[in-house]
Amino acid sequence: MTEREPPTPNPSPKMREGLQGPNPVFAKSKRGESDQGNWARRLGEALRYGALTIVLILFMVPVYGAIVTAFKTQAEVSAGGYWTIPRSFASENFARVMDPDAGNLGLYLGNSLLLTIPASLLSIGLGTLAGYGLGKYRFRGDGLLFVFIVAGMFLPPQIALIPVFRLMNDIGLYDTLWAVIIIHTAFGIPICTLVMRNFFQVVPNALREAALIDGANEYSIFLRIMLPLTLPALAVLATLQFTWIWNDFLWPFILTQRAESRTIMVGILNLTGQYTVDWGGQAAASLIGSLPTLFIFIFFQRYFIKGLTLGAVKG
Amino acid sequence: MLRRHPWILPASFLLLPLLVYFTFVILPTLNSLYYSFTDWVGYGTDYQFIGLANFEKIFSDRLFSNAIRNTAIWLGLAMTVPTLLGLALALGLQGKRTINTVYKSLFYLPICLSPVIIGIIWVWLYSPKLGIVNLFLRGLGLDQLATAWLANPNTALFAVFIAWAWQQTGLNMVIFLAGLTSVPAPLVEAAKVDGANTWQTLRKVIIPMLRPSTVVVLALTAINSLKSFEIIWVMTRGGPFNKSDTLAVFMYSESFRKFKMGYGSSAAVILFAMTLIIIFLYFRQTARADELYD
Repeated sequence: MTEREPPTPNPSPKMREGLQGPNPVFAKSKRGESDQGNWARRLGEALRYGALTIVLILFMVPVYGAIVTAFKTQAEVSAGGYWTIPRSFASENFARVMDPDAGNLGLYLGNSLLLTIPASLLSIGLGTLAGYGLGKYRFRGDGLLFVFIVAGMFLPPQIALIPVFRLMNDIGLYDTLWAVIIIHTAFGIPICTLVMRNFFQVVPNALREAALIDGANEYSIFLRIMLPLTLPALAVLATLQFTWIWNDFLWPFILTQRAESRTIMVGILNLTGQYTVDWGGQAAASLIGSLPTLFIFIFFQRYFIKGLTLGAVKG
Repeated sequence: MLRRHPWILPASFLLLPLLVYFTFVILPTLNSLYYSFTDWVGYGTDYQFIGLANFEKIFSDRLFSNAIRNTAIWLGLAMTVPTLLGLALALGLQGKRTINTVYKSLFYLPICLSPVIIGIIWVWLYSPKLGIVNLFLRGLGLDQLATAWLANPNTALFAVFIAWAWQQTGLNMVIFLAGLTSVPAPLVEAAKVDGANTWQTLRKVIIPMLRPSTVVVLALTAINSLKSFEIIWVMTRGGPFNKSDTLAVFMYSESFRKFKMGYGSSAAVILFAMTLIIIFLYFRQTARADELYD
């Protein structure tokens, strides 16, 4: 799965060129029919993009609403101008939700970073180790072990909720970010192992054997030769894990309580409880909470999409 | 050339990840099974092993059968609406034209948002007075259709579902688009040369070729549906009158609101069993697809 897929030419543009392009031979041979075909095709295109555009506009309404509301004053929202373009582009909503004495989102953003970065790195690290062990070595029961690990991808979190809640209480980590870091690390192992194992499987063995002949040991091969090759796979996993862990609500909701260990998503939901009618504040908080994953979406979309389909298709 | 290795080598790579995975994923899963046979209340160690009593009770619990019914409605909608819409978008937007790339990106966008934020945004959309859904209906003169979507017991579940589908559609489109790249262009062209119209090509060539992606989409949709909790919790907390209470929400409320952790565990076990059935069906389907295409 990690090999790049051969670029498959898309049939429709090609055929469209054939029919519409300045190709007199083609046009002549069809004798007038092509004109009709041309029209039918253009009409089809227009209808297709018309329909797609309508769906897209409907699709973007929620996003538009969140953006315009975030920049409106309370008065402007209550005046009923919820869906109009903001008149003033006020930044007071952002200031209010970030203010330590009001929304206090700064603290929760920091907490979420303190949770998401280590948990992503740890799950990717452990997944890389397991993926290497399963992708480059043959041993009795390796296939079974692989299935056993990957099966974890499908587990609904609900099945582990109560025991993990109790375990974290028992070992004294309840209501700390550590509890959430540990659980996201562990639940990230299946997808990371899957991606890395598939990646290592297609790395040519000749590389490893040449290094063995040169006298390198297995661990220096892993560190010096294999790891540098894994960068694209690591980028895929980094975007995926960061997005999931950042956006997750259930685990921090169950495992933390105090404001000091509250993550951004739990914080934002709390905010909506406190300021039920403060749509501007809620919208500003939603935008702030989405910025890191939007950043990944904009700049690393290729990796993110690759990760989504890898996990999906192989899973 | 791969040969068998002494176990110590792979073990040195696998030990640490396996230890973490076992301790924090597998052990808790097994523990849930154990708690489902107890009457634990969430604190202390004073609880009894009560055999199948939780399961006997749950199957006569009206809140549970209500949750199962809502989950079934949700699953039925989830398997069809976002699947078909995702497929349609993928078919309409395949290819590398600039406009397609831009449209695709915008349809992906909801995937990177947290369900919490999606829930919050959609709550405003459904707001009875200022929400755009009702503004739109009133604008069309359909005032009688405007309602408090999330507070109306007849519409709450569907309203939450649409917000959820908003995200799931983009994900399905991504998977179908990946599947479409493996449909050989010559095959499609051959069908057209043979005189098949667009609809026939779609029915007889493209959709059968997309079977593996369809299986993935349906399995993922079902699994995501069963475990989705956040968006429902944010939008309705399962209300009004438990009308949007699904199995995942029921499990949470029983365990962490009513502190019936043993009872909640039995709900979690049932949820888990349903997931296992889907995974089983999924692997059987993919095995069949492999036979077809290998």
